[in-house]
Amino acid sequence: MGKIRVEGLKKSFGANQVLKGIDMQVKEGEVVCVIGPSGSGKSTFLRCINRLEDITAGRVIVDDQDLNDSKTDINKARENIGMVFQHFNLFPHFNVLKNIMFAPMELGKMNAKQARETAMRLLERVGLADKADAFPSQLSGGQKQRVAIARALAMNPDVMLFDEPTSALDPEMVGEVLGVMKDLAREGMTMIIVTHEMGFAREVADRVVFMDGGYIVEEGPPEEVFGRPKNERMISFLEKVL
Amino acid sequence: MKSSIKVSLLSLALLLLVVTGWSGWTGSAAAAPDSGKTYVIGTDITFAPFEFQDVSGKFVGIDMDLMEAIAKDQNFKYEIKPLGFNAAVQALEANQVDGVIAGMSITDERKQKFDFSESYFESGVVMAISESNNNVKTYEDLKGKKVAVKTGTEGYSFAESIASKYGFTIVPFDDSSQMYDDVKTGNSVACFDDYPVLAYGVNQNNGLKIVTEKEAGGSYGFAVSKGKNQELMQKFNTGLTNLKASGEYDQILEKYLGENASGPANQSRWGLIQDSLPPLLTGLGKTLLYTIVSLFFAFILGLIFGFMKVGRNKFLRGLATVFVDVFRGIPLIVLAFFIYFGIPQAFGFTMPLFLAAILTLTLNAGAYVTEIIRGGIQSIDRGQMEAARSLGLPYRKAMMKIIIPQAIRVMIPAFINQLVITLKDTSILSAIGLVELTQSGKIIIARTFSSFDIWLVVAIMYLIVITILTKLSGFLEGRLRRG
Repeated sequence: MGKIRVEGLKKSFGANQVLKGIDMQVKEGEVVCVIGPSGSGKSTFLRCINRLEDITAGRVIVDDQDLNDSKTDINKARENIGMVFQHFNLFPHFNVLKNIMFAPMELGKMNAKQARETAMRLLERVGLADKADAFPSQLSGGQKQRVAIARALAMNPDVMLFDEPTSALDPEMVGEVLGVMKDLAREGMTMIIVTHEMGFAREVADRVVFMDGGYIVEEGPPEEVFGRPKNERMISFLEKVL
Repeated sequence: MKSSIKVSLLSLALLLLVVTGWSGWTGSAAAAPDSGKTYVIGTDITFAPFEFQDVSGKFVGIDMDLMEAIAKDQNFKYEIKPLGFNAAVQALEANQVDGVIAGMSITDERKQKFDFSESYFESGVVMAISESNNNVKTYEDLKGKKVAVKTGTEGYSFAESIASKYGFTIVPFDDSSQMYDDVKTGNSVACFDDYPVLAYGVNQNNGLKIVTEKEAGGSYGFAVSKGKNQELMQKFNTGLTNLKASGEYDQILEKYLGENASGPANQSRWGLIQDSLPPLLTGLGKTLLYTIVSLFFAFILGLIFGFMKVGRNKFLRGLATVFVDVFRGIPLIVLAFFIYFGIPQAFGFTMPLFLAAILTLTLNAGAYVTEIIRGGIQSIDRGQMEAARSLGLPYRKAMMKIIIPQAIRVMIPAFINQLVITLKDTSILSAIGLVELTQSGKIIIARTFSSFDIWLVVAIMYLIVITILTKLSGFLEGRLRRG
């Protein structure tokens, strides 16, 4: 599982229409990188996929569940959709271990022992087993983001959303986070990644989506989008960032 | 995690029990049969020699002795409520008390609202000045000066009636000792008050001397609300006639105003302070009790309205905003008067003083606690809620486990601040007659006129308690931050 279908998605904040009609399908295990200039609506689009933003029109369907249907238990649905934020949003009053164990235990997914084992396994996977007892304030940005990824994975989701996960990091820490994400992609996780890391997108993405002005302007396999961009705005955007 | 829910449920149940218990208690008191009724008599607290507290804390004076003798003669039960003169009069209007005996002059204006007994004392206004002042001898000498008077008294009306003629300004006070102090310290050059009151004060070395002859006027009467408690009025008048006939009436006057009336107790300053400590400590206890109980309820109100303010429901948010705006916008003393005098008068019921006091403090502090909680919650980065929700946590769980624990750390200094403010604010309730620390001080000063010593002790008591509480809270805050 891990299919996403977005149909005619529109989103306005007051009079300001940010998303003007987005259609997209993501297959199980597919990795989609969303790129585009700031203000193009990338982050808003991502936040609609776990309903952190209520949508104005259209449908968002994750694994056959319409997220905006009144019959949908959004909390249940979100358990299956992990999210990683630009600013990590770790819980500062919990240590690393508790940050990861918290949701599965609180939501009755695991008992303390299972949660601890899962958390330790995930920490090893992101290379931070020695930081289990540390508090978020004692970690570097890259370490924080890796813990945040482990926290999202602890709920064992079928879909992972990444909202500019490396934008707030010092350059030397970008690699460690992208490394963890590459591993995830290889293991077949369905992922939507809003990013400015063009190299990463080219390497990891099955599909690159270019957004501008609230629309998807161009999409396709990375070699096509980066190698033979058709759209004028896409061309000028790539000229600026590459 | 489950246990904390249990604890909050338990405290909620306890709260309901207390609240229902209270209403049950007041309800049964109101429904008590009239036979053998105990009359509640309001009086002043600082109107020696008519009413004042003696060293042992008992209310004595001409009014008190008279009331006791009449009650004995007419065989009825009564309870004295020392409220302060203005509060007593308002309490009578609001039917919070059955009668008032407080050296109250019978005037046409008051007759509109009250029924008066036969006059039990013929008084008259005199002027007093500081002992060391030799310049002021007549009303003419007051030109351009300030004159202290006590609100609602005959002295006040008299001063008012001659103020423009002699060109002085009036400085109103709520009780006699404050008025005397104002003259002693030289802010006002003179004061006007009823002859027996001033004579008694001078007799007790209040630092003043009387310089004029008694103005004709003033008879004192016992008052009930117009058309109400006529039986009590009847008993008072009959009793008074009997006492005058038996000579007991003269004995009472003699005791306080005669040649052999007792002078000031020969007491050192230290002895006075020592004697004052027990009533002051009792007052301090009351202050603490009212602070803690009020803050407890204020905290509950603050939680409810605070969550309403950060919630998504527009109606509840509006409701909470109105609550805060109203109770933060009304000065505490006005709120106290409104709750204790205004509401009972408008709706015709009796409100116990403790309830009015706690209600006043709770509503006021509740408004501020609401804002503290709202501010604390909103100070937590939005990303925390989003991260919690994105993991599948329901709003309530995310709030309780992620937002609140972080917000509490932000709120603690503001809570400590509110604790200190509410503790000090209890003193304002002395205006409706609550005998807390400040009022206890006032009562002692009314008898001894030793403002400096007593206010110093009272101030130090507040300081000590507030310092201890602040340090204690600071310690707890430190522990919370580390843990």
